[in-house]
Amino acid sequence: MTAAQPNRLRQNGRIDRTRPLAFSFDGKAYEGFAGDTLASALIANGVSLVGRSFKLRRPRGIVGSGAEEPNAIMQIGEGAAAQPNLPATQVGLYDGLVARSTRGWPGVRFDLGAINDVFGRVLGAGFYYKTFMYPRSWWKHYELAIRKSAGFGQAPEGPDPDRYEHMNAHCDVLVAGGGPAGLMAALAAAKSGARVMLADEQDEFGGSLLAFAASIDGAPAAEWAAAAAEELRDMEDCVLLPSSTVFGYYDHNFLTIAERCAGSPDSSVGGGVRERLWRVRARQVVLAQGSLERPLVFCNNDRPGVMLASAVSTYIKRYAVLPGRRAVVFTNNDSAYRAALSLAGAGAEVAAIVDSRPGGAGDLGLRAQALGIPVHAGHVVTDVAGRRRVTGASIAPWNGESWENVESTIRIDCDLVAVSGGWSPAVHLHSQAGGQLAWDDSQLCLLPAEARQANVSAGAGNGQWSLGECLADGLRAGAETVSRLGLKTAAIRVPGADANAGEKLIEPMWRAPAASDADRCPRQFIDFQNDTTVADIRLAAREGYRNVEHVKRYTALGFGTDQGKLGNINGMAVLADTLGKEIPEVGTTTFRPAYTPVSFGVCAGESVGELYDPVRTTAIHEWHVAAGAPMELVGQWHRPWYFPRDGEDLDAAVARECLAVRNSLGVMDASTLGKIDARGPDVVEFLERIYTHKVGGMQVGRCAYGIMLGEDGMLMDDGVMARAGEQRFYLTTTTGGAASVLSWMEKWLQTEWPELEVYLTSLTDHYSTIAVAGPNSRGLLEKLGCDIPLDKERFPFMTVKPAVLAGMDVTLFRVSFSGELAFEINIASNHALAMWRTIMEAGVEFEGAPYGTETMHVLRAEKGFVIAGQDTDGSVTPVDLGMNWLLSREKDFLGKRSLRRPDSLRKDRKQWVGLLSLDGRTVLGEGTQLVGESGEPAAMCGHVTSSYFSTSLGHPIALALVAGGRGRNGETIYAARPGLEPLPVQIVSPVFYDRKGQRQHV
Amino acid sequence: MSEASPALSGKEGVPPSGKVGTPSPHGRHGLEPFFATVESAPDARVAISVRTGRGFLNLRLNPHSRKAREAAERILGQPMPLAANTFTVGKHRVYWLGPDEWLIAAGEERASDLGSGLTDALAGFHAAVNDLSGGNVELLVGGAHARTALAKGCSLDLHPREFAPGQCAQTSLGRAAVLLAADGEPSTYTIIVRRSFSDYLCRWLENAARPHGAGFSVL
Amino acid sequence: MLLIECPWCGPRAETEFSYGGEAGIARPADPDALSDAEWADYLFYRSNPKGAHRELWNHDHGCRRWFGVERDTATYRIERSYVLSHTGSDAATGSDAATNAGTGYSSGNGD
Ligand SMILES: [Zn+2]
Repeated sequence: MTAAQPNRLRQNGRIDRTRPLAFSFDGKAYEGFAGDTLASALIANGVSLVGRSFKLRRPRGIVGSGAEEPNAIMQIGEGAAAQPNLPATQVGLYDGLVARSTRGWPGVRFDLGAINDVFGRVLGAGFYYKTFMYPRSWWKHYELAIRKSAGFGQAPEGPDPDRYEHMNAHCDVLVAGGGPAGLMAALAAAKSGARVMLADEQDEFGGSLLAFAASIDGAPAAEWAAAAAEELRDMEDCVLLPSSTVFGYYDHNFLTIAERCAGSPDSSVGGGVRERLWRVRARQVVLAQGSLERPLVFCNNDRPGVMLASAVSTYIKRYAVLPGRRAVVFTNNDSAYRAALSLAGAGAEVAAIVDSRPGGAGDLGLRAQALGIPVHAGHVVTDVAGRRRVTGASIAPWNGESWENVESTIRIDCDLVAVSGGWSPAVHLHSQAGGQLAWDDSQLCLLPAEARQANVSAGAGNGQWSLGECLADGLRAGAETVSRLGLKTAAIRVPGADANAGEKLIEPMWRAPAASDADRCPRQFIDFQNDTTVADIRLAAREGYRNVEHVKRYTALGFGTDQGKLGNINGMAVLADTLGKEIPEVGTTTFRPAYTPVSFGVCAGESVGELYDPVRTTAIHEWHVAAGAPMELVGQWHRPWYFPRDGEDLDAAVARECLAVRNSLGVMDASTLGKIDARGPDVVEFLERIYTHKVGGMQVGRCAYGIMLGEDGMLMDDGVMARAGEQRFYLTTTTGGAASVLSWMEKWLQTEWPELEVYLTSLTDHYSTIAVAGPNSRGLLEKLGCDIPLDKERFPFMTVKPAVLAGMDVTLFRVSFSGELAFEINIASNHALAMWRTIMEAGVEFEGAPYGTETMHVLRAEKGFVIAGQDTDGSVTPVDLGMNWLLSREKDFLGKRSLRRPDSLRKDRKQWVGLLSLDGRTVLGEGTQLVGESGEPAAMCGHVTSSYFSTSLGHPIALALVAGGRGRNGETIYAARPGLEPLPVQIVSPVFYDRKGQRQHV
Repeated sequence: MSEASPALSGKEGVPPSGKVGTPSPHGRHGLEPFFATVESAPDARVAISVRTGRGFLNLRLNPHSRKAREAAERILGQPMPLAANTFTVGKHRVYWLGPDEWLIAAGEERASDLGSGLTDALAGFHAAVNDLSGGNVELLVGGAHARTALAKGCSLDLHPREFAPGQCAQTSLGRAAVLLAADGEPSTYTIIVRRSFSDYLCRWLENAARPHGAGFSVL
Repeated sequence: MLLIECPWCGPRAETEFSYGGEAGIARPADPDALSDAEWADYLFYRSNPKGAHRELWNHDHGCRRWFGVERDTATYRIERSYVLSHTGSDAATGSDAATNAGTGYSSGNGD
């Protein structure tokens, strides 16, 4: 052992001693080797204290060697690239790795919060609920203090600079877990011609074969695993994913895999990707995720130096590090004897094997005794000494009674206690998929029972413990999927391997007795990460909690990054014991995704920055960008908000743009409006049912404003429609409603009225729409050169005509959303920019201006034109809006019957009105609550839906929904303003400008 | 407008005159700024191109009306695909969009002429012909890693056994709705996307293809 | 994520579809003749079963067709997808009727 890595064994291990890697932990520099995890490198360097517990701030060490690790939770990396809360056991070591313990402030060796442990009796189950409830107004202060001291890592300091991506994949068979069973299943499926994906959370395939001495077909098992992986890798249509955790199993065999790409030689794509989320649709799934060893429950079982027996073996065999020099092994089953043999083989002293079973172990016991290891059968470890590191274990004989106090008779000095409380198959994915679980009373574990989706469990995860059984079970599972797929099963032989002959069964020992009773003895931990103890669970039971889901939430058992991988079964057993029930009666909590923590980065994938959501742009967009127009997001569209000149702000630009339209000419890109071509023999009948007005009365070439209602009678969308022919209409929708309105219309056509012969086609992207508005708009078009007469007699308001304008084919609409003389030019989008530029050049003469969405809003608000979705919210009828004139009495239409519902006829319904600030200058905030009286408290009687300063009128205007509003014209009500006196406002007509509507008709 | 008219200010991305490029009967597809600025990797394994100058028509008719279908096919000079999610290649490409809906990517012929021809031929039938030339953008994605790049944002199984040449599908790519077609050569795809989504889609494609090296061209 | 079989396009990811509520809710022929309670029943009341449920889905990122799906609301298992028969009240026929009688269209793989 070198001085630099005092616990590194001289030989063996699957590490590359020629590639030393520098890393730091809590600011101190260390060295490890390629092939190490951060955890194995820390152990190699003799670091045994890696964190503080969540609630009690007790010192904690590394317990496990994989996904189950509850204590060694690290902040990896620094600054923007930092990743919080990664288990050190799953972080592959790389050069320059910077790790910090995430819990314990200011550091793990000195922790102010450790005082919680001293006064800890008050911190029992439900402590937070009980203590901080009163007085209620203080909660905000409590919360700050609790959150600060409960830190679980720190958020990175800036946007993550790394690349993450998603990958969709399809396969015939997804195999989760690349141990002996998973490899056999994958071989069986792939050789039968199936498309196979094999994922394993370790960077090498082989699973347990990498950590235990075993042989397959006479060769070291790890070599067999490497050869099997190589064979699969060479096969077409077989995808191997190392360093990849299958973490979610969703409906219809959809599974998610998180692949950690950095440093992974098998990374299928590479290219600087840090993590990749695989979204896999698998026809069949083999679950071969192995099993998780359980700790044993005794006093102070959380002290650094208490470690899972399998982890001890793994650190020695796989990583060539020795976690302790003098060990006590404590077990209730045979498997831990292997750890004792590994320790002895690596030169450590095994001071004792303490076996709770009176009869001790089978053949492995004999082998241990042959090495001179003392075995104490029928004994338990009752307590350990040492605070930052185990210094000794107290041992007592045990009669099988967990709740009777015992005096320890033996004390053994040691620096390591290797524990095994038996094995829990990793049934998480099976359970996530909706599968049943069954308690096995002889193996003392939950086994996968009936599956609900197309999945098969295999190997240790299926209760097959010996290597020989795992290989055979993997082959069986693979063949099962092949036959379900209807493929011909290739003939494959099960390789020769040891069966665990001569092993004795596990015997229950859910809690070791202590010198005092369970509620007074030193803490016996069930869940390390959440500091849940035996006493907490007993307290919860005494306080009336019976359901395991409730106990979980009351005690925090099974929360946290490890999701109870170590503690859940022990917790269930203690709860069952306390309640006097059998374990299956208590049941287990629900397994939910994710199996292991998944980073936000990989969940987001590429959908960050400019790819966060699609940005839709019009054909004229690049002109708007070049003009320096700030953009407003409307749905997914980027629309120019206003066009500032000479450093204008929003208000100045909008004032200028509004005046340009009212006095001369304004031009707007209205291309985002939804546009639908509707035609067919029954198009009139169809539209009569959809729209509220009499569509059949429209002559060809006429336009009409139309609204459509939901069947509940509420306004859904609105727009101008034009009759383009006897059997052909052109419909427009709001920008946001384009897709949903088309889908809504198709729904009625396809599901309810298929007898109507109507075709609907979206023209939204094909046509761009340029609105030219203002007294000089006609002059502009004439200047551009138009082949049709534009005077009001021959081209009156609310008509439409095809035309050639500036030499380009267009459709001209005489419609107005500003109340001024206006035209809307529809032109194919590939020519829209050219038309826009031509208009801009011609418009100079009229001192016109391009205008954006804000000016459009002001202009229409001055005219009292509603914007569906801004002035309405799905609870507003056309009657509320004062649109009775649009409701045909002669026909039925969608939603009509609902207008007679008692609720629609209520006198106090909110109705749409105008508001004037009585101070003549305050622009109300949109959403402002309106009250009837100025005093407090006052009942809310409405809210502001739109509010602007009208430059044309010289004062602010607002639109609002007010209870019974139309009958209250002239009344003064009040606008509530946080921190200010309510502002008196007057209810007026929603039409503020040109009340007679003459300007648009000129 | 005034002399401050932003169109004349010559800011980035827009040539300093009102005219853009060579006047074309096809106008602009809108991706000119993107393709003008995007950089190709020297060793591109994903090739992304925009195809210019193709007109598009949307055609609706009842396929069980043999006369209507034959009238359309006479004008098209090729059969219309009746099997779902397939397309036919002749003078034009005719894509199946739905049981009574097709998208025609016009060949040499001007889409407006083809559209008029179809409209005339289908007079008297319940049918609809709409020119969508301004509303669609056609992209070609090829190269050794094209399939991998697309798989990052497409939930379809693009394995050549499952999505063979001659097949097409309307689906999502990234977060945009597209028509994706498997072309004759392996790992070569045509993507037709609505114009308003095309800039987003190109940025999405550029990002997806970046780890493999992305090349860009205008056809 | 559900895998939904569009009767025309075949199995596609749930994200390509939008949900249209319970199938078989026929719009009353004469809404005016209905009492408030009867109209409310049509408007608001749904069967909301635990188990087999017929519902409408729209392949809106695909072929734009509305169709029926029979799905178990407890297990999310989809028993079948079907082309709607001539009215939205598909329960009237209850068959896998692959023809859309109103328009005479047939599915790509239904008939
Ligand atoms: Zn479909």
